[in-house]
Amino acid sequence: MSSIDLTLQIWRQKNNDSLGHLETYFLQGIHTDMSFLEMLDVLNEKLTKEGKDPVTFDHDCREGICGMCGAVVNGVAHGPEKEITLCQLHMRNFRSGDTLVIEPFRSKAFPIRKDLMVDRSALDRIIQSGGYVSVNTGGTPDGNSLPIPSSVAELAMDAAACIGCGACVASCPNGAAMLFTSAKISQLCLLPQGQPERKRRALAMVETMDKEGFGNCTNFRECEAVCPKSISIRNIARLNREFLVASLLEG
Amino acid sequence: MWFIRFVTSSIGKKLIMGTTGLLLFLFLCTHAAGNATIYMSSEVFQSYADELHSHPLIVMVFSLVIFVLFVVHAGLGIFLFLENRRDPGCRYAVNTRVVSNSLASRTMPYSGLFILLFVLVHVFGFTFGPEHVPISETVKVMLSGFFYGLFYIISFIILAIHLSHGFWSMLQTFGLNHPRYNVLIARLTYILPAFFLLLFGGIPLYFMSGAGASF
Repeated sequence: MSSIDLTLQIWRQKNNDSLGHLETYFLQGIHTDMSFLEMLDVLNEKLTKEGKDPVTFDHDCREGICGMCGAVVNGVAHGPEKEITLCQLHMRNFRSGDTLVIEPFRSKAFPIRKDLMVDRSALDRIIQSGGYVSVNTGGTPDGNSLPIPSSVAELAMDAAACIGCGACVASCPNGAAMLFTSAKISQLCLLPQGQPERKRRALAMVETMDKEGFGNCTNFRECEAVCPKSISIRNIARLNREFLVASLLEG
Repeated sequence: MWFIRFVTSSIGKKLIMGTTGLLLFLFLCTHAAGNATIYMSSEVFQSYADELHSHPLIVMVFSLVIFVLFVVHAGLGIFLFLENRRDPGCRYAVNTRVVSNSLASRTMPYSGLFILLFVLVHVFGFTFGPEHVPISETVKVMLSGFFYGLFYIISFIILAIHLSHGFWSMLQTFGLNHPRYNVLIARLTYILPAFFLLLFGGIPLYFMSGAGASF
């Protein structure tokens, strides 16, 4: 096990109303087998012992499936490694002497609560406006009563892999939430259970997305590149189709 | 009303950008076909231009439609650009782009504005150019000039860059993204702009190099 020394520049901000700034910290002897969040834990222990305010950051499962953690490391959401969340990023990706600039996921729709912790409830409100099925499902249905081709089930599963971390919004130069919204719409519109509310859902979720202050998609593809669950922009194409058809035929 | 809701939504605006973009792209195809006659001879080109302008009504309706397309495409593009800029553009201390070839997508508003400038210069140079002079003569005189020709070539390069993102982006906006066609689309988005660059850019080169001296 080897260890590295790092210079950290971390965004410190008391709350949404105060002005933030980057503060510099030096960390020595960080084990390369540590995860990124464990490295922040070490920093916080040190800060606590010094009687300083520890760095606030969101985290929960620490195994890359909950979508709670996330920060922008050197300009890349979830850090330099592909298809992982911040908690799954390990310090072996860095070298001794590196400077890491750690900033919160920024968007007009994500107010900063404290330091690296942002309020992503705008994404929840998109879900609340239509990201569900409201049919009475009754008892457990018979295994093959609803035939679904395996290819369709796979596409729906690929979309359902979205953990709603918000990295797509953070990385988008326009701050658009199209990848998130398209994944949520796709997982439901592909399956038979999602059909009754299909058009209403597309209209409502896009309307909420616009209202929450997310930007317009201009096909930069940055979202797809940083997504820890490698959600494809093919979902965005599907959302565009869904929205067009719903606009023309519904409401 | 559904139409207002569609037009004011983010995806609706994108679809309008895509549709006007597609129609302008189709116009570019017809324009390219017409201009290709320059490579044959001044007579062929002149007779094409005379034939076209012997139907003033068609020309007028066509010009009007293209004018509206330009106004909508450029106007909405500028509007979207300003709207997206309200989100703090340099919001991070460190800005890293993960997507490798992002030159075209990053510069869309700027390349678009340059093309608008080019279109204005082009229309005032040729459409409203010197009267009572055959168009084939105007083309030869204008494009033989070094700076004028150079401006045209630079414009066509910028147009090619604009289209290299625009073509793919338009299809993605229309919802055309399928593994079976993605490779083809990814190639066409470079091949088609390159084709336009060769065809249009060749014209000023043809005159500037002296190859078109006997035009």
